[in-house]
Amino acid sequence: MEQFFQQLINGIMIGSTYAVVALGFGLIFSVMRVVNLAHPEIFMVGAYVAFVVITRLHVPGQGLGVSVAVGVFLLVLVLAMVVTGVVGLVLERLVVRPTRGTYILTPFIATSGVSIVLQNGAQRVFGPDPVRVPSVIPAHTFVVSGVRVTSMQITTVLTAVLIMLALRYYVYRTRWGRATRAVAEKPDVAAACGVNVNLVSQLTVSIASIMAGAAGVTLGLLYSSAAPFMGLLFGLKSFVCMLVAGNRYIEAIMAVGLLLGVVEAMVTGYVSSNLRDAVAFALLLAVLFFRPQGLFGSYEV
Amino acid sequence: MLRSILAHVPAFWVVTLITAGINAIITMGVYFSNAAGALSACHAAIAGMGAYVGAVLTTNFDWPFLLALLAGVMVGFLTGMLLALVTLRMNELVAGLTTLAFGETMVIIAFNLDYIGGANGFIGIPLETTFAAVYIVLALVVFVAWRFDRSRLGYAARACRDNAHAAAAMGINTPWVKTLVFALGGGIAGAGGVLRAHYVLVQNPEDMGFFFSVNYLIFWVFGGSYTFWGPLFGAMFLTILPELLRFSLYDRFIIYGVILTAIVIVRLQGVITRVPLGRRSAVRAWWSRREGSDGPAPTQSRRRHSQPSSAPGLGGSQGSR
Repeated sequence: MEQFFQQLINGIMIGSTYAVVALGFGLIFSVMRVVNLAHPEIFMVGAYVAFVVITRLHVPGQGLGVSVAVGVFLLVLVLAMVVTGVVGLVLERLVVRPTRGTYILTPFIATSGVSIVLQNGAQRVFGPDPVRVPSVIPAHTFVVSGVRVTSMQITTVLTAVLIMLALRYYVYRTRWGRATRAVAEKPDVAAACGVNVNLVSQLTVSIASIMAGAAGVTLGLLYSSAAPFMGLLFGLKSFVCMLVAGNRYIEAIMAVGLLLGVVEAMVTGYVSSNLRDAVAFALLLAVLFFRPQGLFGSYEV
Repeated sequence: MLRSILAHVPAFWVVTLITAGINAIITMGVYFSNAAGALSACHAAIAGMGAYVGAVLTTNFDWPFLLALLAGVMVGFLTGMLLALVTLRMNELVAGLTTLAFGETMVIIAFNLDYIGGANGFIGIPLETTFAAVYIVLALVVFVAWRFDRSRLGYAARACRDNAHAAAAMGINTPWVKTLVFALGGGIAGAGGVLRAHYVLVQNPEDMGFFFSVNYLIFWVFGGSYTFWGPLFGAMFLTILPELLRFSLYDRFIIYGVILTAIVIVRLQGVITRVPLGRRSAVRAWWSRREGSDGPAPTQSRRRHSQPSSAPGLGGSQGSR
């Protein structure tokens, strides 16, 4: 039973990160019908920003007061969000906007070129080996009846939950969120009603990138490493989460992200870690077979 | 004669050309499979299955290479047929995703099958693939594609691709055409896989993965997905380009990515299309699209290969494809 709860905690932690990246995929796909292959690399950029900022700041790692540690963490997070947001803006302007609205594979391939550039750029600047990201949150392990939870895990889940709540607020409660939903529904009608479609798509890509950047920071700190190709498999699985959930409901994507994380952790704990990566694709095959529009509907192209 | 010419070419370029030829064969498989409007994101997996079967037959059962090649073609053909039957009624995106998941499942199965080496890959394959073999097969495939383009089946496939309902209304047996065309492409990919396995001499499970399949899709769309010259050009160009960029060993993939993205943005339909370049140059069409892009409707012209409405110079002759 202890092992079960331990794996549950581990699963929720990684699953919340999947959910954040998957939401970015879903947002861009819903609004522009673009599968943004550069999204996982923006996640990777977030982790590298954390690495650069923390090593430049010479954070001592241990012995920081809680408030100072949280402050440093927030600083890193905000800087990473700014950098990835700018990357998202540039990406939208130069690559997504000229290619959107064409055959679905055209933006797919254009963004895959960007992802090649980002991967190899990171490899050029930071070297091909993973770099060690020093921790800022003081390591502390809470033990609740045998189940171990580290402070970094709590930070990861908290950050992810806050980001998801903020996104939900933005999409459903603000003016721009309403415009975003209108463009996702019917771009031509939205434009006829006076919605600035280009601005909405720009906002959407940068918000998705910001979320991916934040997820990259937390994951980089959690595993205390950043690598040029860390985004590949992680991004593919997040994309699968988005597909399994369908792109209609934000909550559905969050739930499926958590579910995938938990199921993967359970498979690792109880079956075999070799099969861990198979879970996502088995889930996708099963869902597509029975519900070709995703579990909770939508992705009409 | 070929041998005496090859003797003067640096060995490095022979290797590159063989790799490019094999990639071109598998990309031609993608072209065939997707000719009737399917979207296959698993051609690396089909090629890999053909490669495993061919490699096992030559290595463990001492079959002659030609028979193993034919066995690979058969495996690819049957897999393609099966996938086509499963994805027949799905729309393009869902079909692509189903094949993606199929490919990843194949990777995991290969990982866990000890008979074919599991995670270590299948090793000990004899070297059978030569420059001549690759280019004879490629020439054969191109010839078939050339005949296919002008054949009843080719026209039927293009009709299915443009509008499956209209094609069915014209009396085309769309399920049959789609299945046959997908299976043909699978067979070609299988041949490519066998050739690659007998050249690289090791077949790894990862070779069947999503990223390799995406590579073939990139070759296909980059070159232009509407004529067989497109995938041929795309595979050749994008395989040789990183080798040409070896003057800067560290930056070459950065330059490669920039070139790939830039060309896709400027030539939205791929480099080679049925439409001649037109009155306006491609760069100027791209520029006007960028400038005048405050128009509505990212999804207005969602149909395959229809030009965005703000590029009239290229749009005119689209109807005649």
